[in-house]
Amino acid sequence: MSERIKTRVVGARLPYVDGVEKVVGTTQFVGDFNLPGVLTGLALRSPHPHARILRVDTSRAESLTGVHTVLSRENGPAAKFGINHQDETAFCIDKVRYIGDEVAAVAAVDEATAREALELIRVEYELLPVVDDPLSAFGEGVSLVHENVPNNLASQFHVTRGEVDAAFGAADATFEDDFHTHLAHQAYIEPTGCVAEPHPDGRLTIWGCLQSAFIIRTFMIAPITGMDPDHIRVIQTKPGGAFGGKLDVKAALMAALLARAAGKPVNFLLSLDEDLTAMRPRMPVHISLQSAFRADGKLLGKRVNIVAENGAYSSLSPAIMSSIALRTDNLYRTPTVDIEAKLVYTNICPSGQMRGFGNVQATFAWESHLDNAAVGLGIDPVELRLNNYVETGDLTLHGWKIASCGVADAARYAAKAIGWTEKRQQGGKGRGVGLASTIHVSGNKGFAVELGPSDKEPSSAVIRLDSEGRAEIWSGESDLGQGSASVMAFIAAEVIGLPVEDFQVPPTDTGCMPFGFGAFASRITLIGGNAVKIASENTRELLLRAAADVLEAAPEELLIEGREISVKGFPARKTKVKEVIRAVGGAIEGSGTWYAGGEVLDSKKYGNPSTTYSFSTQAAEVEVDMETGIVTVLKVVAGHDPGRVINRLGSEGQVEGGAVQAMSYCLMENLSPEKGRIRADNFHDYLIATSLDVPPVEHEFFETIDPHGPYGAKGLAETAINPTAAAIGNAIFHATGARLRSLPFTPERVLAAIDEVRSGY
Amino acid sequence: MSEHRIKLKVNGEAESATVQGHTTLLRALRSMGHLDVKSSCEAGDCGACAVFLDGEPVNSCLMFAAQANGCEIITVRGIGTEESLHPIQRQIVEKGGVQCGFCTPGIVVSAKALLDKNPNPSRQEIRRELAGNLCRCTGYQKIFDAIEAAAEEIRQ
Repeated sequence: MSERIKTRVVGARLPYVDGVEKVVGTTQFVGDFNLPGVLTGLALRSPHPHARILRVDTSRAESLTGVHTVLSRENGPAAKFGINHQDETAFCIDKVRYIGDEVAAVAAVDEATAREALELIRVEYELLPVVDDPLSAFGEGVSLVHENVPNNLASQFHVTRGEVDAAFGAADATFEDDFHTHLAHQAYIEPTGCVAEPHPDGRLTIWGCLQSAFIIRTFMIAPITGMDPDHIRVIQTKPGGAFGGKLDVKAALMAALLARAAGKPVNFLLSLDEDLTAMRPRMPVHISLQSAFRADGKLLGKRVNIVAENGAYSSLSPAIMSSIALRTDNLYRTPTVDIEAKLVYTNICPSGQMRGFGNVQATFAWESHLDNAAVGLGIDPVELRLNNYVETGDLTLHGWKIASCGVADAARYAAKAIGWTEKRQQGGKGRGVGLASTIHVSGNKGFAVELGPSDKEPSSAVIRLDSEGRAEIWSGESDLGQGSASVMAFIAAEVIGLPVEDFQVPPTDTGCMPFGFGAFASRITLIGGNAVKIASENTRELLLRAAADVLEAAPEELLIEGREISVKGFPARKTKVKEVIRAVGGAIEGSGTWYAGGEVLDSKKYGNPSTTYSFSTQAAEVEVDMETGIVTVLKVVAGHDPGRVINRLGSEGQVEGGAVQAMSYCLMENLSPEKGRIRADNFHDYLIATSLDVPPVEHEFFETIDPHGPYGAKGLAETAINPTAAAIGNAIFHATGARLRSLPFTPERVLAAIDEVRSGY
Repeated sequence: MSEHRIKLKVNGEAESATVQGHTTLLRALRSMGHLDVKSSCEAGDCGACAVFLDGEPVNSCLMFAAQANGCEIITVRGIGTEESLHPIQRQIVEKGGVQCGFCTPGIVVSAKALLDKNPNPSRQEIRRELAGNLCRCTGYQKIFDAIEAAAEEIRQ
């Protein structure tokens, strides 16, 4: 553990800095924009999961009064884009590959006209066989989603570390399980949208509910339009929830292309059904696990086989699959592992990242499997975990450097708080407790490699103090509602010495703000927070230097407190902060850049990918109705290692919200794809937890003071969602003896599993 | 298409608009500039568009604007503003019951509807009243805390 610096603001329990504007409804979300003369943009989406396009005729739509532009393969760009693989075009060229694929788009004076125009577009299709099962998408004669990709394999890899066969040969016990996770949506309440405005000089401004303004500019708009990235200004609007789903947003491209073609501003706002069927929901995956243990519970080796469902286009799916494949091996001391992973194209919307970036799926499978192993070994599941966890200072088999680790303390807390010792004695009668742990990257070095030869990943911040003594923090990193604006304000207030409430953190604007990759990979608190800390130190230095002139003292003799600066030991020799700023012309601006730690992995995926790592252990207590199969989660307790808490109220909110999202994911949610059609395309079929469904969530933070984090802080929001589904599944197992291996845990599945146990399988 | 001239009183101000027969109250209010009324599912599932209609909370996406002709509408801004927060709004901020803020206007309306008729609700009564307002960020716990605290503040 690094030294714990005494703080005044960091660790306090305070409201969000932008809370008030949100409770009175003045926050401007993307749907609240109303540019003068703005046109309505809509897409014509494929009604078929897989078909060849024989003809696209947009002539009647083009001649409809009120239509400004119609784009399709006939006149749109043919260039491909994609962060990991470039396999996606703006509009379908030869084929449609999922229901929802963009065939054409229109911009018209109003929505009614735009809808009428869509109906006038004629498209002739030749239907093709639907690839809807990744397990049978290989081999001779199989239909190909992309003709140039044999066997529908978007990506695959094989990683072996150590002598796996020898480990299994020497084991006292081995275990085997197959798991499956389903297609589930981020289900933010605000549907996705973007607005684009072309300027007479050829430049373009885009507003949108985006997790990363810079990624949209660099990986999507610039390559497709051929524009200089510096001529594209992307301004973030505060997202009404995102959870991973608003990282790679094609609506930005649609708005941009339509606006450029029409020469007028265009709104491109998705309806909820478009959002639920044509975005990038959480990747479904089949995970087969084998493990080898010594009789005393020492883990000797693992065999992992993964078939992940890519959907129609790749986006970030190769990286997500890699995360699913490798991550849990770094939570326990794993001497040997063999991993086979395949990413398979199918005719469904592209799968993508949701909070956890694959780790929710991986953790569900491995932590359920480990629970089974504990039973087989006759060892308490908590003990088995405690005997195998990584510790601070470990170098894992994949090359991860564990700089701080509080997972064992979190596990002891979670077990105690759920009443483990007493309640584990019971079980089998419909009530049970279960537990699961997780490791997550914190400040993953994600995109540097994709951008070019350098592996450096910078994040910068600027802090501007104005003549009223108020401050704005400019960062390329984004607040999605997860509270990163408050985290930045806390850090800056701590360093500079001004009150937290004097700080504003406006949304990202690539046109004027410093660079940052945005909100994913638990980057913001760690990478963005470090950048803000350096910028704050610079700002404080400039402020003190200016104050030294005013107060005729040396900068190191000065004290900033409240909104005043005084000479230490001479309280009467003081001045207001704003007077100091006015004395130097009305503004003080400090800046700073921080480079993410970690390394780019080698070709065998070996290396330390992230600056550092966060941990958590959660326990759940459930009641299972043995006659109906309905699962009620009675309580979740969450022990978390966030390095150090920056804003306690915000941290609690992340843990409560994350655990509830995971409960909702594993018990209620399912996009229910069937032969390429998503059936749950609204909020009465796609059920997310309501106020009546949620259990109480208790929490405790174990501060390990990470050497790389600002004040020792690490990421938190993703560790909050990773282990909950496994903890609930393990609790169901304890309550009923039935092991649920497929998500979601519907009453039908629970009942079937209970019946299996009863019939003695 | 049939056009209707409607008159509404919104947050105390008389307003009028021309709407189509099929225009929902939600869309009419937003086109009249009341952007504090949020639009998401447009099917009565999420509660983001909740407003008071003649004192009763309704999902404004589930009725036609023409049906609201002559009615009094209160949106979240009619409940409280930056300068004069309602206790429910203040407590939602203080207790951490807001994250992204998109569902919050609807939550404030539902909470006020509850406290108007029941100044001392139990936790279960709060949970029941909010069942029509989806929140994806908070897990609801801190919203419950806020409504309990607001109820206490109003009673005193």
